[in-house]
Amino acid sequence: MRKARGPSVLGTLFRSEMRMLLRDTRTILIAIVAPLIMFPAYILVMNHVESREQRALEEETYVYAVSGSRARWVGEVVRAAIALDTTDPDTTRAPAVFELRTPEDPMAALQAGEIHLVVEGYSAVEWDSIRTEEREAEEREAEERASRAGRAEEAEPDTSLVEEEPSLPAVRILYRGESDFSEAARRRLRERILEVRAARRDSVLLSSGFPVATSEVAAVEAESVASAAKASGLFLGLALTPFLVILMLSGGSIVAVDAICGEKERGTLETLLTTAASRTDIVRAKLLAVIVVGLAVAVINVSNLLVYIVLGVLDLPPDFVVEIDPLGLLLLLVLLVPVAVLVAAALLLLSGASKSYREYQVFFFPVFVAFVVPSFAAGLPGIDLHSVIALVPLAGVAVAVKEILVGKIDLPFQALAFVSTSGLALWLTFKTHWTLSNEKLISGSDLDEADLKGGAALFPRHVLRWFLGLWVLFFLSSLWFGEDLGLRGQVVLNLLVIFFGGSLVMVRRYRLDPVEAYGLRKAHPAAWIAVVLGAPSALLVGFGVTELVNTFVFPVPEQLLENFGQELLGPELPLWQLVLFLSVLPGIFEELFFRGILVHGLRRVIRRKWLLAVTVGLIFGIFHVSLFRIVPTALLGFILTWVVLFGGSIYPAMLWHALNNAIATVPATLGWLPEDFEPEAWWALPACLVLAFSLWILWKAGRGNAKRGVDEMRPGDGTNARR
Amino acid sequence: MTTNGRTVFVEDLRKTFYDESRGEVKAVDGVTFSCHPGEVFGLLGANGAGKTTTLRMLSTVLKPTGGTASVMGHDVVREPESVRESLGFYSASTALFPRLTGRETLRFFARINHYPVEGLAERVEALISRFGIQEYANARIEKLSTGMKQKVSIARTIAHDPPVLIFDEPTVGLDVLNALEMVKVIRELRDEGKTIIFSSHIMSEVEKLCDRIAIIHRGRLLALGTLESLREATGEHYLEDVFVHYVTRAEGLEVAAIGATGELEEAP
Repeated sequence: MRKARGPSVLGTLFRSEMRMLLRDTRTILIAIVAPLIMFPAYILVMNHVESREQRALEEETYVYAVSGSRARWVGEVVRAAIALDTTDPDTTRAPAVFELRTPEDPMAALQAGEIHLVVEGYSAVEWDSIRTEEREAEEREAEERASRAGRAEEAEPDTSLVEEEPSLPAVRILYRGESDFSEAARRRLRERILEVRAARRDSVLLSSGFPVATSEVAAVEAESVASAAKASGLFLGLALTPFLVILMLSGGSIVAVDAICGEKERGTLETLLTTAASRTDIVRAKLLAVIVVGLAVAVINVSNLLVYIVLGVLDLPPDFVVEIDPLGLLLLLVLLVPVAVLVAAALLLLSGASKSYREYQVFFFPVFVAFVVPSFAAGLPGIDLHSVIALVPLAGVAVAVKEILVGKIDLPFQALAFVSTSGLALWLTFKTHWTLSNEKLISGSDLDEADLKGGAALFPRHVLRWFLGLWVLFFLSSLWFGEDLGLRGQVVLNLLVIFFGGSLVMVRRYRLDPVEAYGLRKAHPAAWIAVVLGAPSALLVGFGVTELVNTFVFPVPEQLLENFGQELLGPELPLWQLVLFLSVLPGIFEELFFRGILVHGLRRVIRRKWLLAVTVGLIFGIFHVSLFRIVPTALLGFILTWVVLFGGSIYPAMLWHALNNAIATVPATLGWLPEDFEPEAWWALPACLVLAFSLWILWKAGRGNAKRGVDEMRPGDGTNARR
Repeated sequence: MTTNGRTVFVEDLRKTFYDESRGEVKAVDGVTFSCHPGEVFGLLGANGAGKTTTLRMLSTVLKPTGGTASVMGHDVVREPESVRESLGFYSASTALFPRLTGRETLRFFARINHYPVEGLAERVEALISRFGIQEYANARIEKLSTGMKQKVSIARTIAHDPPVLIFDEPTVGLDVLNALEMVKVIRELRDEGKTIIFSSHIMSEVEKLCDRIAIIHRGRLLALGTLESLREATGEHYLEDVFVHYVTRAEGLEVAAIGATGELEEAP
């Protein structure tokens, strides 16, 4: 049998991949040539705009007015300030021409934009009272905010500000923050006034017999000891990785989108897959093409910028020097290789996992963000490669690159960053390999009958979207109306309108059978016994698990828990209302929503029961908004999903849920328990056994039901059974 | 390389997949047949009967969930690359790369199917003259008409001169003349000694072309034999009637296992 060498097949695949790309003139023009012109054009335009603005600011005549009880005094201060010479090149003392105007109402004139500044003069007494007023207003606002947020935290008066300074007359400059000119006027005038003040203070000191020259009081100057090369290296080190990653992403995407999902759409992928070329060679060739094009785009753009810099069209920051020794340069190149592979592998995987161009485009943005964010890791304050960051793919390399550019060589950790990034790149490549044998994607068109059938068949695919939408609604409504509605209103809105109303809309829209969708089936008598045993024990288990998580995984501040407890206890309601709103209604409607319609939709998508239960539990947890409640609620959701899956009926789950809520809230609220009662964490252990026993009863009862001919809810074969 | 003169051997092949709307679907449910050099083996069935799934498993694009299949003695699961090297796969859904020329396409497919480098140029030129595509061999595929594309496509299927060829509904979307051309080419290839598996739902094509016919319905083979033997077994003359005979019987018996044993003709 003819046997050819691998590399030449790989070469053939790669060459034709590149040939096809290069023949796609439109793509080349738009994706490679256009940025070449647009990048520098953008920078040029920005520079031009900035220098024009700078000039405009310098040429402007700044108009000011004086006011306040000591307007005359302040007017004299300003005149002295303006009179200072303007040769200092420092921006704060940038040349400026000022002009005094005397409008009837200075504030109105400032608001109307007729003048740039109002300079107010106050006597010491006035100034003190103004400051006290301001402080009080601030405090009031802070208190309001705190009470709105429902936090009991006390607004601490900031005593450091109340410190009694010797009172002095004051100058206050009012300006309009939204106006560049007003802002520039303020900067220029303030700097000058401060100088005038300093000069006057010195002269007062001198005349009062303190023979101290200003220069001896303090001379402060900050000067960095870093060489120009190191400073530039820092700048470059922060920018290099993100810049390259962005270019690689946009450049590599040109090939990646076409490489698998484009071929899928055109039908050429199947042609390729029926040839003797191995999947590995196909993936390698495509990966190589993405890397080459991504790198080419990066190199072209960087050298393009360099050309413009050499031609003098673009300016570098002053003192820009890059010094890098050969070892550093080598390390830099070695470190950037896995980054290029990682980006390419991710793009190719995205392409393989997408059914169409459209899907690729939808998912490209999250991928883009997921890459760009860690590539900025070097900018984290105080970050050092000698930390966990070295293990974070891409982020580790970003930090390593920065350190190399400021002249730090730290081989072991740089190697770690290299390994972590390469590891992820390899794993993604492997996953891409897998997408080529993902049969659903290859023969997707044949299998997608749900779209044609519509209705109930489409529901499993849409169910998560509906829940996401309803979650947003739920979240926003609690944000907007939460306070006004009170506990009862909120319960009614969430349970009846959002949950039940939403589920009814789904039932109507997809023409679902309500009995099936909600699981409205008779339960086995034994199930009720199981529920009575299971609900309290599950609550104890939940408590124990939460304690564990709080202690070891993420500690929740004690204070927060206490506040929350207060919140749950809620307002003073009569017993029957308490039971109705906190136990019965949630028991009925949350079950119909989560264990009814959600399980009904998801069980055809997620076929493993335990995974289904975990998913439903998590969604249930997420619907309980506050972060630290996720653990106990998700656990409850997980258990209740099993209750429904075992029994096939929603009713036991309703009772379980209602009991759970009742036990958790009623006794504590009505003061039936000692003040500081709290279950012990170890109670969870015996409770686990009771819970397991209860679930076993449910399982047995469910099997009994199935034998008696009652349909057991088994994920997956619902449709088959009907056929 | 063949076992007992069989180039293709399929035994109890099964493919079950899960579909959100339909639940578990048995697309192919225990199919058994074998093929020999120099014959056209027809797979006749309605849309969705399992023809394409069977052929995709043979071409290793899909993995069987049960049973075995081999091509030229190579198992589709264990040696997928050798299997693909031994066969050419043509279907209406296997498109060509639009930005390559005809000549580049043939060279590309011969090469990645491991055709030896030494004879490559001659092989490509021979294919070009055989299918009469000299005039447009250097034009990009995207510029060609349907008929021209079809010729290049057939040429690329046999570019590496494989002993087994699969034509999965090759005439779908072709006009009468192009469809006739296709049938002609398949006959020629059979006469050259290739094994050809031809799937279709068009009775007249199968009637004209196939040496043996397998009727497939709901993933199961209902009958297998020469046109003559099928006529005898059913007492019907037209293949269409033969087909309807088997399908109605199968439906009536709720897909009872008639296909698997009794009427199935074993390898001659």
